[in-house]
Amino acid sequence: MAAPGGGTAADTEVRAASARQRPPLPRPSTGTLVRAAVIVVLLLFVLFALPQLMSLYYVDAMTQVAVWSMAALGLGVLVGRVGLVSLGQVAVLAIGAWVAARLLFATEQPYPLVLLEAGLITMLLGTLIGLPALRLRGLYLALITLMLAGALTVVLATTNFPNGGHGFLGYNGSSVHIPPIRRPSIAASDPAYFRYAVVVAALMFLLVFVHIRTRPGRAWAAVRQSEPAALAAGINTWLYKLWAFALASFITGVAGGVLAGANHYLYSLNFPTYYSITLLAVVLMGGAYSLWGAVIAGLLWALLPSLLQDWGVSADWLTILFGVGVLQVLTTAPRGLADQVPKDLARLGRLLRGLVRKRAPSESGAG
Amino acid sequence: MIEVSGLTVRFGGVTSLDGMSVTFEAGTCGLIGPNGAGKTTFFNVLSGFVRPAAGTVRAFGEDLLSLVHFRRARWGVRRTFQTEQAIEELSVFDNVAMIHEHARLGGASRRQDVLGAISFVGLDADPSARVATLAAGQRRLVEVARAVVGRPKLVLLDEPAAGLPDQETEHLSEVIRRIPEQAGALTILVDHDMSLVSACCETTAVLDFGKLIASGPTAEVLRDERVIRAYLGTAEVL
Amino acid sequence: MPSWQDFEPFIVSGLALGGVYALSGVGMVVLYQATGVVYLAFGAVGAMGALIAWSLINAHAPGWVGWLACVAFAALVTLAYGMVFGPALAKRDPLVKAVATLGLTLVLFGLMDLLWTTSGGQSRAITLPTDNGGFMVGQVQVDWTQVISLALGVAITVATGAFLRMSKLGTAMRAMANDREITATLGVPVRRVEAAAWLGCGVLAGLAGVLLADLVALDATTLTFLVISSLAATLIARLRSITVTFVAAIVIGLVHDLLTPIQSLSNYRDLTPFVLAAIALLVLSSGGGRVLARSREEA
Repeated sequence: MAAPGGGTAADTEVRAASARQRPPLPRPSTGTLVRAAVIVVLLLFVLFALPQLMSLYYVDAMTQVAVWSMAALGLGVLVGRVGLVSLGQVAVLAIGAWVAARLLFATEQPYPLVLLEAGLITMLLGTLIGLPALRLRGLYLALITLMLAGALTVVLATTNFPNGGHGFLGYNGSSVHIPPIRRPSIAASDPAYFRYAVVVAALMFLLVFVHIRTRPGRAWAAVRQSEPAALAAGINTWLYKLWAFALASFITGVAGGVLAGANHYLYSLNFPTYYSITLLAVVLMGGAYSLWGAVIAGLLWALLPSLLQDWGVSADWLTILFGVGVLQVLTTAPRGLADQVPKDLARLGRLLRGLVRKRAPSESGAG
Repeated sequence: MIEVSGLTVRFGGVTSLDGMSVTFEAGTCGLIGPNGAGKTTFFNVLSGFVRPAAGTVRAFGEDLLSLVHFRRARWGVRRTFQTEQAIEELSVFDNVAMIHEHARLGGASRRQDVLGAISFVGLDADPSARVATLAAGQRRLVEVARAVVGRPKLVLLDEPAAGLPDQETEHLSEVIRRIPEQAGALTILVDHDMSLVSACCETTAVLDFGKLIASGPTAEVLRDERVIRAYLGTAEVL
Repeated sequence: MPSWQDFEPFIVSGLALGGVYALSGVGMVVLYQATGVVYLAFGAVGAMGALIAWSLINAHAPGWVGWLACVAFAALVTLAYGMVFGPALAKRDPLVKAVATLGLTLVLFGLMDLLWTTSGGQSRAITLPTDNGGFMVGQVQVDWTQVISLALGVAITVATGAFLRMSKLGTAMRAMANDREITATLGVPVRRVEAAAWLGCGVLAGLAGVLLADLVALDATTLTFLVISSLAATLIARLRSITVTFVAAIVIGLVHDLLTPIQSLSNYRDLTPFVLAAIALLVLSSGGGRVLARSREEA
């Protein structure tokens, strides 16, 4: 069977044609280089200048931003790139945190190794769940993951998080002196740990970026567009969905590990069921498709509540805002949940300003 | 040669294909019929999205239905869909290369094969341009390029000219006519544009209510009384 | 291993709970069939309705005013949501429609925590007049609330089945489940049918809210996420059969409560809906083997 352009005369014609056309191999344009430079500068600023400019309260909040950006990144890969909705990502985060805490108490392994292991074990669990779950229709997958989030809350309420105890669960219920989860020796202080978290987050973003620019990214684009067309193109869609699931689980697991060190103490009520829903909300609002969207989602998740708490406004307003945000995104998004247009942040800004202007007198809590 | 024998497909209470039996010999074959006749269902069976209740399909001597859907591309089935399937955020090159890649055709000749397919369909656009920037007619050509790249055995074209202006349909017609000789593939063309079918297809089969009602040289089939009767009452103009 | 006597009271409570899950599940299935929406805010509207009832009763309003307010609130919010966001999302995938209801859930959730804050450790409770009084079945005390819960579950299931099959409105709903556009061209007032489905679902959400607040707890989080139990029942029924929804709901309620006296498993009984739904979806079925979900012919 001859390829199109078969006989020798046509062959030369094709080669001449391809020589005339610009090579389709990616060559960094000025635009890309400028963008890369901006990112590097921004990263340096965040790593070195930011901690000096903020109080410890906000350094803490920004560490949470780093953690939750990673969680949002994982969910963004699923929702934005492949078109899969998982309502159980916070459960995955909790698993990563649990594994990391257990390893940190039980072994003297260096931190990066623990993070890697937490990521890999979480990835393994995520893949095992994905194996049957990914054969379900999108709606059923979302609902089953919602139930998974609920299920893990139940399990964690009984097993709790490791706190230096013995046995598989590593939980010591009666202990008075509960040791904190350790941090890396080079990053024990809060500002130092913040930098550590940012570096880990940057690596995770890089990992996703590489995926997007190579074969899995293209396959995901095909699957998201139309699964039948992707199958007709020879793409094993189930396998690539599983790959996305594995990647998202890995990243979220690592994020859980970073969370463990950030918080020092983990409690099951840190991971309520509704968090998984709110995480989806901020991912949708920040923009599920773009990597910047994950950063925005992290800011929405972790920085806004700290700001509000500082100003004496109840964080419940954020929950309400996120609910409205979901409705707004879904009714105005042109194509499903993976919207390529950056979110309407101006509107968000207006809403926030409105909130700030009518801030209530100090309420009893951050909710 | 594609031999279809007794193909039956049921969805709930509806029988979409009813013991369809037909042989597509070689070259470009047309497949026409009124709306709801079962043409897209037939393509879906060939693509592996629908499992028939009964019947067989032998393609070039092999049992096509025994292959899992995503393996059929590797075997050599290519298909276009009624709705646009070119991936907007990727470049023209990547769109076509993806087919080549997943059909496991080997990286060495990939660039040449892809560029060859793009020039074969006469697509006048920068291969590195994102498909989102192309006009509708150009996107159709990208899809046809995806359908002919590599060494396909069977090319299924599902209403490729739908919504295209006359000039572009003309161009498409020329491209389709060249597919069998250039790519060596058997092509089945489904379309409602009878002039396109007449121009491209030596033979044509006609479906109505999931059954084959006529097949043979295109000109004869289009004059066949049964075929005309099947179309009466619809807005189709022969 | 506990004895039969230890289980007996939990059979009763399990049936009651299952009854409420059933009426919730049936409401959600019918709404899904008529509109394509999996109403995940079902628990939240019921929860907020129950809290409103509590506030009214706390302010010395008579009990029935409270319960009525709860049902009315749930019905109105559900109807309003359906009328505003139904059309806006009508042509979208059921997944998108379901996620949208999560937006409503978050809004209500935030409002509930804002207006009925739980910091300070206060707990609220609702009691129904039917809690007192009942009868004995063997060694077990059965109160009227439990009877009503189960009875309503059965009644709603049966009535809905009959309604769908025999009434004009019900037949219209079934037609829309099949194909909304074609039904519209047949002259069926789809908007009105949808409104009826939303309203009916909302009423059931309010009823479920009152009963669950009594049977389980009057707590925003608990009540909002009890929707997961009813959801499990609807998933087992593939969002289709109300009979299977009923049976699944009863089973979920029973298994959940029957695990209570078993020491080793008691803490994990809230996993029941998840485990049963997972088994039904992941193990027992092909999970949607066909790639093209819609069977409609195109050409």
